Amino acid sequence: MIVKDVVCPFCGCLCDDIEVEVEGNRVISVGNACELGTTKLVGEERMKKPILRDGGEWREITYDEAVQRSADILTSAERPLLYGWSGTHGEAQCVGVHMAELVRGVIDNTSSVCHGPSILAIQEVGHPGCTLGVVKNRADLVIYWGSNPIDAHPRHLSRYTYYADGFFLENAFRDRKIIVVDIRKTETANVADEFLQIEPGGDYAVLSALRALVRGKPETIPKTVAGITREQLIRVADLCKEAKFGAVFFGLGLTMTQGKYKNIRNAIELVSELNRHTKFTISAMRGHYNVYGSNEVNTWMTGYPYGIDYSRGIAFYNPGETTAVDILARKECDAALIIGSDPAAHFPRRCLEHLADIPVIQLDPYPNATTAFCNIQIPVAVTGIDAEGTAYRMDGVPIRTRKILTTDYPSDEEILSRMYALMQEEQER
Amino acid sequence: MSELLIKNACVIDPLRGINAETMDIAIRDGRIVEEVSSAAEVIDAHGALTLPGGIDSHTHICGTKVNFGRYMSPEDMRAGRTSRCGPMHATSGYSVPTTYGNSYRYSAMGYTTLLEGAMAPLEARHTHEEFLYTPLQDTMANALFDGNWGIMEAIRDDDTKRVAAIIAWTLQAVKAFAVKLTNPGGTEAWQWGKNVSCIRDPVPYFEVTPAEIITSIVEANELLGLPHSVHLHCNNLGTPGNYTCTLGTLGLIPDLNPKRQTLYATHVQFHAYGGSGWKDFCSKSEPIARFVNMRPQIVIDMGQVMFGRTTTMTADGPMEFNLYRLHHDKWSNHDVELETGSGIIPVLYRRKNLVNSIMWAIGLELALLTESPWQCMLTTDNPNGAPFVKYPEIIALLMSKKYRDAEFATIHPDTGSRVPLPAIERELDWYEIAVMTRAGQARALGIQDLGKGHLSLGAEADVAIYPIRIDDVDPSVDYEKVIEAFSRTEYTIKRGRIVSRKGDCIVDGNNATFWVRPKVSDDYDMGKDPDFIKKFDRYYTVRMRNYPVQDEYVNRSRCIETEAEI
Amino acid sequence: MKVTLTMKPVARSFIPIEAESIIPKNFLSGTDLSVWRGNRELSLDDIFSVSVEGEADNPEDVEIVISGDGLFRLKRVGEYMDGGKITILGDIGMHCGNFMSGGTIEIHGSADGWLGREMAGGTILCRGDAADYCASGYRGGRKGMTGGAVEVFGRTGDFLAENIAGGIVTVHGDAGDMAGAEMRDGTLIIHGDCSRPAANMKGGSCYIYGTAHALLPTFKKIGPVRHEGQTLIRFTGDIANRGKGNLFVKDYKYLD
Repeated sequence: MIVKDVVCPFCGCLCDDIEVEVEGNRVISVGNACELGTTKLVGEERMKKPILRDGGEWREITYDEAVQRSADILTSAERPLLYGWSGTHGEAQCVGVHMAELVRGVIDNTSSVCHGPSILAIQEVGHPGCTLGVVKNRADLVIYWGSNPIDAHPRHLSRYTYYADGFFLENAFRDRKIIVVDIRKTETANVADEFLQIEPGGDYAVLSALRALVRGKPETIPKTVAGITREQLIRVADLCKEAKFGAVFFGLGLTMTQGKYKNIRNAIELVSELNRHTKFTISAMRGHYNVYGSNEVNTWMTGYPYGIDYSRGIAFYNPGETTAVDILARKECDAALIIGSDPAAHFPRRCLEHLADIPVIQLDPYPNATTAFCNIQIPVAVTGIDAEGTAYRMDGVPIRTRKILTTDYPSDEEILSRMYALMQEEQER
Repeated sequence: MSELLIKNACVIDPLRGINAETMDIAIRDGRIVEEVSSAAEVIDAHGALTLPGGIDSHTHICGTKVNFGRYMSPEDMRAGRTSRCGPMHATSGYSVPTTYGNSYRYSAMGYTTLLEGAMAPLEARHTHEEFLYTPLQDTMANALFDGNWGIMEAIRDDDTKRVAAIIAWTLQAVKAFAVKLTNPGGTEAWQWGKNVSCIRDPVPYFEVTPAEIITSIVEANELLGLPHSVHLHCNNLGTPGNYTCTLGTLGLIPDLNPKRQTLYATHVQFHAYGGSGWKDFCSKSEPIARFVNMRPQIVIDMGQVMFGRTTTMTADGPMEFNLYRLHHDKWSNHDVELETGSGIIPVLYRRKNLVNSIMWAIGLELALLTESPWQCMLTTDNPNGAPFVKYPEIIALLMSKKYRDAEFATIHPDTGSRVPLPAIERELDWYEIAVMTRAGQARALGIQDLGKGHLSLGAEADVAIYPIRIDDVDPSVDYEKVIEAFSRTEYTIKRGRIVSRKGDCIVDGNNATFWVRPKVSDDYDMGKDPDFIKKFDRYYTVRMRNYPVQDEYVNRSRCIETEAEI
Repeated sequence: MKVTLTMKPVARSFIPIEAESIIPKNFLSGTDLSVWRGNRELSLDDIFSVSVEGEADNPEDVEIVISGDGLFRLKRVGEYMDGGKITILGDIGMHCGNFMSGGTIEIHGSADGWLGREMAGGTILCRGDAADYCASGYRGGRKGMTGGAVEVFGRTGDFLAENIAGGIVTVHGDAGDMAGAEMRDGTLIIHGDCSRPAANMKGGSCYIYGTAHALLPTFKKIGPVRHEGQTLIRFTGDIANRGKGNLFVKDYKYLD
């Protein structure tokens, strides 16, 4: 059976034109998706049942027992951490917020190790952006800064920018220009009309220089800035001012460089300045398919997009203090629930040392690096395959992921709701 | 079966013509009934002022741009935080509260039905998700059509029926309630960094004018038999001298509907400016109100500005960019493909600022100079003019000349030469306030037949009991008591259940969402139209199959089917 | 009145203790105060050995002396303080002296992040180092410190005095990256080196007696000036931000 218009649950592109061939409860083939999406949809060997670490060994337990033990661990903790969230659907994320509020712990998502800096910048200067279709239909200049979409968001160029058909562009491919800014020549740089190779750490200075140039104030700019000549800077500033519609996309190359959120802030302020001359927008190349969703859900429910501490009853937000990496590195939590992410694969060693010391519950369909640090792992359905729910694309457009096959696995939302119900009962007593 | 009896309520129910009669109200299973059994729960109102539940006909509470406002303003979020308490979840936010914050605070003020002022169809799912978490009020949303490509092409081709067909398909697809136009034509122009300067200024590429967009969509709206009229945010919001554009716009509107207005013009305060620049900025509320008084086909709402910090958020992208250039603070923008846009910036309205003082006066003038309260609703375009928690202060200002004068003495000293407010003696009475905060909204939105906005037999039992006895209070003098009373009900009752008691919400809600499904003939079903489908697939970045808002997103669905004339 | 708080030795828990109740004013009505460890409310004497000498009628006459092991996890001491003195005989945790408007805090050791955040008045002295965001504002930009004085004898981390809009901040050692970012008013003095100072500056004055590394290319060089017995080079900017602030440096290097 072929299912059309399937939503790919991998990256922030959230492509929804995937075609999947399903037989029984297996995915046989995938059409239209990139390799990353295809791998996700085809899937791999899943954990069969919940497991509990008993002494030095694992044993299988029932879902009921897993849920009960998890609820007990979290309610008795003084500072529980609920982390991850980007790899699951919004309905589950909402339960997570209610849970964090009830157990009075910290809820954080993968933004804090990814585009958290982008959010901090937006909180300082705002976000002049648009949906991806606006870029597709209008942009004659696209800038990828610190982002290599050919590698990390393979269909971005064909669906939304360089190779996409645009309503207002006669010959979209020929009428668009691409500028790539990066510290090394990436695959995307190979297709660019203009490539700026920046010294590591030099993005902020280059952005400041561009802002001054757009303002018409070249006097203070030295002959080179972070490896870029003044001539090239002037050329780029002019290209921007002459564009009919410019779209900037930035990635971890900008968020993770020294200064972090200040780099993004400067890029946003450049775009705001360009709006005095022509039309320009800026957007973050979000990694996980529903990390933006976790920001949206957290915001409408708590007021803040990530790193929310409910220890004192009211929501307290302070990235650098209430974010998972910092809390784990400083050993400031005494229990953790991990869902929709694999922190053991990415976090610094210090964090993992503490993770090994505290009780950890993970909701994940697959054994992963974090499994080694868990006390309990509960296998759940995969959102977009055997569970459905809302995801938010990198530009904020919400799409409902599809359920393309049925299995016996419960969804994240179901498991979390069961835990939450037990916690509520416990509280009433 | 659950029964409730409210005894000794001093009821003002304008849709039934009831003006301060003491009576009992019997409720069974969420509706008003003739009488109940002795097993009923009994509340004694002790003669307190009892009104149908409040209805806000234009507020920004749920959706993409509202959440943008929260997201980018952690300093606003921390200004209004509460802890989880009983059934109430934790809340945050001052001018853009979290969804629970909105719901609890509106409930404490007696509001039981809210209309989200602007929802981009592509992102409707987000609005509906937030509706689910605004549990103590029934909700409905205006869908934005001001920059809709399919519609502008149909208007260019003079095909009003096709305009209606596209509206019909979209409304039912995204479960919207009504048609909204924000700076019609301007939001499309803004996607090139431009704007439209007046209603005859053609939109780049599409070559239709705002006047054509407005008249065509007004006609289409009536062809679809929708409960509400077109809901319009005029062009040129905030610009000195824009009152002429507003009058020109209102002058386009014929009288097409016997049951209600043909156009609802929103937050008209922002559109009633005279002068040619900031230096000679002044109020033009008088000509606007005079015009509205002569045209029953127009209903407006105030869009009152109150002093202090707030966040502006509208679909009017270019206006927000200009505001940003004026204020030099942070700025967010979000254009939506093929449809519309939005802009969000925080602002501070100051008494020391002459322009802000004039704006404050204009909103009040519009309410006082519009003769019939049925034609002027009380709003602040929350949160653009002020957060909705300021409504009680606005009520007090409208009811008390003395309060107005006291406030006037604290604002910019030159205001008096720019506005007519000091000379206006009128003080609204309790009945008129009841009209402007619920009965009028119900009629303007076309929901009184659904049992909203009144307490007749069979109506929804949404009731607000305010801790004030109107015989004991002279509102023109005791304005502090008026503010206190309208800030916190003694009881807010929703579908026969007490949901709020002295400011504390005591249950989890179970709200309904109202939306429309106009029934059109197969010829006008855009779901089967090859041109519509082809353009959708080519230019949107979401598949047509994935675009509609699924049933899962609506808690209790109240779908209103209408008979369309196409 | 002198209040001595000695932190009791605890088991290996690193869970932070929020102690915003420790301000001079609160001790005028006794020592029955609460602190929070994660989501648990505890009383002051669960965490500290408390002793009080003498009496006082107003906060100015109250001195609190805090000592013990594990002070590094004690957060929010001195928050909203409006008078009196707090002496910390060791390091101190995050958010010490936030929103302070009067009085003095003296830290003998080092301070963790956000020392003196959003301060409006009073004095903070830190004999050791101060971590990131010393004397800064809160998330969301706008104004940070608006008055008072912060002096750090050691070094500071990154984003020192971010968003400063008044008051004076002095660091004797090196400052980290982006000291004085978004500065709008007030005075920032750095005796050591720093990198990328006064980024996006709008106003105010920043003096660097060491070397400014990676100086941003959008400051306009005016020329040498004499200041406090030293020759410094004066710049104005940040041009990118329409800024009219003043940046004085002993020496500078661009990132080229």
